[in-house]
This record gives sequence, structure tokens and C-alpha cells, in this order.
Amino acid sequence: MQTYEFQAKTDEEAIEAACRQLNVSQDEIDIEIIEPGSTGIFGLVGGRKAKIKVTLKAPEAPEEPPEDEEGVQVAKEALENILALIPVEGTTVTADRSDGTINLRIDGDKSGLLIGRKGRTLDALQFIINKIVNKSIEKRARVLVDSEDYRQRRQDFLIQMALKMGDKAKKIQKPVTTNLLNPHDRRIVHLALRDDEELDTKGRGEGIMKKVVIIPKKQNASPGRL
Amino acid sequence: MKDLIAYIAKALVDKPEEVVVTEVEGEQTSVIELKVAKEDLGKVIGKQGRTARAMRTVLSAASTKINKRSVLEILE
Repeated sequence: MQTYEFQAKTDEEAIEAACRQLNVSQDEIDIEIIEPGSTGIFGLVGGRKAKIKVTLKAPEAPEEPPEDEEGVQVAKEALENILALIPVEGTTVTADRSDGTINLRIDGDKSGLLIGRKGRTLDALQFIINKIVNKSIEKRARVLVDSEDYRQRRQDFLIQMALKMGDKAKKIQKPVTTNLLNPHDRRIVHLALRDDEELDTKGRGEGIMKKVVIIPKKQNASPGRL
Repeated sequence: MKDLIAYIAKALVDKPEEVVVTEVEGEQTSVIELKVAKEDLGKVIGKQGRTARAMRTVLSAASTKINKRSVLEILE
């Protein structure tokens, strides 16, 4: 990286001069003030020129992708190592990254061992990989772990369940409550019923796992108690 | 089992060199004891024990595979 030094009467003038000479805008350089300018006493005695050091910033674009790729690599390796230690054989991990999300796909686990009851093992793996990845990279990334399309299947199932419960709530005109769900699953339920104007959805409970209450809106009635 | 927990713990803490894992094997159940540096205790336990729970979940999946049960104990 190149650095230049500039001197002028004041800091501002020095920065201006630097920009002019290097033909860049102020955003493109890092400025370090070595000596602030001083006019001395009454501008007579001990006047000093301001001295600044200017470093050209590297263009931002090429810097970021490697960092992203690094997160992907860390995530993939961590998951592969854990799978090897469990041990599961014959699985392959593929990884890619879109925006702030690292997607990890496990293929070849036919037994569903890695999914676990209600995806608990998959969620646990995801949680651990998240921790490991975000420890090693600066910019936070979200890690999603999937196996045998479980996430998609779970989403389809939850939407179906939400719609069914919504119908029931409307039919009996009473709130219907789901089982305890994790935040991700609750979100799917809320979103599935968001556009239904006859229904309201609310979370109920404490902690990470909560239930979703599906409430039929009463026609021309007072706001519900919930 | 021991290596699995050791790997995960080492990846989570700041002082991997202080991670010690011992396995006490029983007939059906084995107890895995995890010891980390004092400053790292929070890292392996996590907010409301989430990290510890996640490790236990992965551990029990691994034990199911060999038809065993394993218990993870985090020692202070």
C-alpha cells in the first residue's frame, strides 16, 4: 500500500492538497494526522505546518469475497470434521454462500440420524457450526445446515399444519394452539397465516421454544383478550 | 465419542490447549467429562445452556449409532 506525506498550513488544506495531487476523493484515502497545524501565538511565534500521512485505500470490492469464502471454508471443514467423528460415512457436504448466509448441505445420510427428532440434531449441528464460524470471521454470517431436504419438507409440513389449524379455528371460533416450536418454525407459521384476514397469530410462552396461538378474529367484536 | 466432544469444544473456546476430555465407559452408558479453562466455561455452556444442549444432542445422535448412551458432564 502506498503512503504519501503532505504539509500545509492547516489539516484541511493538507487533506485538500493530497486529494488534488493524488486525484482521488476523500473517501478513497486513509488520513493520519502526524502533526496538527498550529498558528503559534498570535500567528507570529512558533507557527507550525500541519503534516498528514495519506494512505490510498485498496478498492473495497476485491477485499470482501475472500473473507466470505473463508467463512464458507471454515463452515464446511467444521461440519465435515464433526461428521467424520460421529462417525457417519458416505456423506458429502456442499457449501455455498449468498449474502450473509452460508448454506451447508449434507447428502447421503439415509438413516436420518443427522436430522433427529423434529430436526433437533440438525439444529444442534447448525448452532455449533454457527458458533465456530462466527468466532473465526469478523462479519457475522448465518449458517444453515440441511440434510436430505429436511428444511424444505419441514416448511411444507408446517404450512400445511398452519392452514389446517387456521381452518379449525375459524370453524369452532376459538383459538387453536400449536405445539412448542422454535423461532424459525414459528416464523413459518406466522407467515403462512399472515394474509388470512380472519385470523390473528400470536406467540405464547417463555424462552426459545414457544407456542403459536391462532385466533379467529371476531366479526364486529371488541379486541380479543389475547 | 471423546474425540467428537474434544473437537467441538476446541473449536469453540479461546484456549483449545486447555481442553481436557475424559471418558468413563460403563456397560451401556459412558460419561464424558469436559474440562476447559475457567474463562471458556461460558463458551461451552452458552446462553441458557444452549451450546451445552447442542453438544449433548450431537453426542446422543452419535451414541445412538453404536447403540449406547452417553452423558456429557461439564466440569468446573
